[in-house]
Amino acid sequence: MRYVHVGTQQLDFSEFYRESKDACLFAVLVSVGDRDVAQDLVDEAFARAWASWRSVSRHPAPAAWVVRAALNASISRWRKRRREVSLPEPGTIADLAAGQEIPDSPLDPQIMAALTRLPARQREVVTMRLLLDLDTSRTAEVLGISPSAVKAHLARAIATLRSGLIPERQQEKSS
Amino acid sequence: MNDDEVITAVREQRDKVHSHTPVDQIISRGRTVRARRRIPGAVTALAVVAAAGTALALGLAGVLGAAPASSTDTIRTMAFTLVKHANGTATLTINRNVLFEPGTLQSALARDGIRAMVTVGRFCSSDPAPAGWTKVMSFPGSPADPGPVRSVVISPAAMPAGTELSFGNFQRANSVAQTSVALIYTRSYTCTSTAPTAPPPNGVMIG
Repeated sequence: MRYVHVGTQQLDFSEFYRESKDACLFAVLVSVGDRDVAQDLVDEAFARAWASWRSVSRHPAPAAWVVRAALNASISRWRKRRREVSLPEPGTIADLAAGQEIPDSPLDPQIMAALTRLPARQREVVTMRLLLDLDTSRTAEVLGISPSAVKAHLARAIATLRSGLIPERQQEKSS
Repeated sequence: MNDDEVITAVREQRDKVHSHTPVDQIISRGRTVRARRRIPGAVTALAVVAAAGTALALGLAGVLGAAPASSTDTIRTMAFTLVKHANGTATLTINRNVLFEPGTLQSALARDGIRAMVTVGRFCSSDPAPAGWTKVMSFPGSPADPGPVRSVVISPAAMPAGTELSFGNFQRANSVAQTSVALIYTRSYTCTSTAPTAPPPNGVMIG
């Protein structure tokens, strides 16, 4: 019985991992601004999810759990390294990297910059609603805010993204 | 550009990012996470079993007694006596003729709010050492030249955050146990198995 249980546990986790790893990686990348760092954080967060899969699998949104675990680890690493060298806050790191084109990356630097410049709460809502495809009520549950607050943050985030993208897109068309 | 176009543009970016880490690698890393979580529990269980076994063995041999004699404020074993005072300090007296069981002393110190790492045959210290050790430990004699003492008064409230006391207990050639005590950084220290021949520069030697 034990082997059957373990086998089932691995199968469920593997499926979850296959379906959500790319979205989780992108969600974390938007916050930390560095592909290698994001990859390591997400891998570690998935490893933690596997280690606690019995409880994580019952979470209302396991992918949101992984993203949150990765970002918490990012903050912990920053706090630890801050004692050794002077480092800007994690949000600032994302901002600094945002305007820079990532070599050999298929990503649009303007959209990435617009995403990383969003205020933290708006970025969280965008992550849950647009990147992890959670519905409004599930996003509200995960973030501990009301559904109307989710809608308001999302509307503001989209407006901010649009205003950030329009001038650059128009400039591209006119040139 | 309308809302839908913005959402589509964001999702297009998401779909361009791919994680290539194989699931087997994640599971392998997960096993390490699990093992790491189990270590504190296993160590505690081993320490309890070891302490119980040692106490039983030594008790039967008439060395330690059946169990540490403990009242509300005092823990007394053959190896040491720890008295807690009303002002929050605690006096530790070590019997130099008995090599102590590290887990028992560490637990006793923890009961009195004293963060400590107790080792036998090993002494750990920080270089540079945290400041303020003279506020943490007081004893008869001069702090500049403490020499071996029999007891030390410890003030846990004076311990700076991120520090703890290191106790290194060594059996000397003449069958006398000697304990070096120093204030160290919890996350930055080195250990040696060579018995100190003099009190550490930021601590004291008991015995």
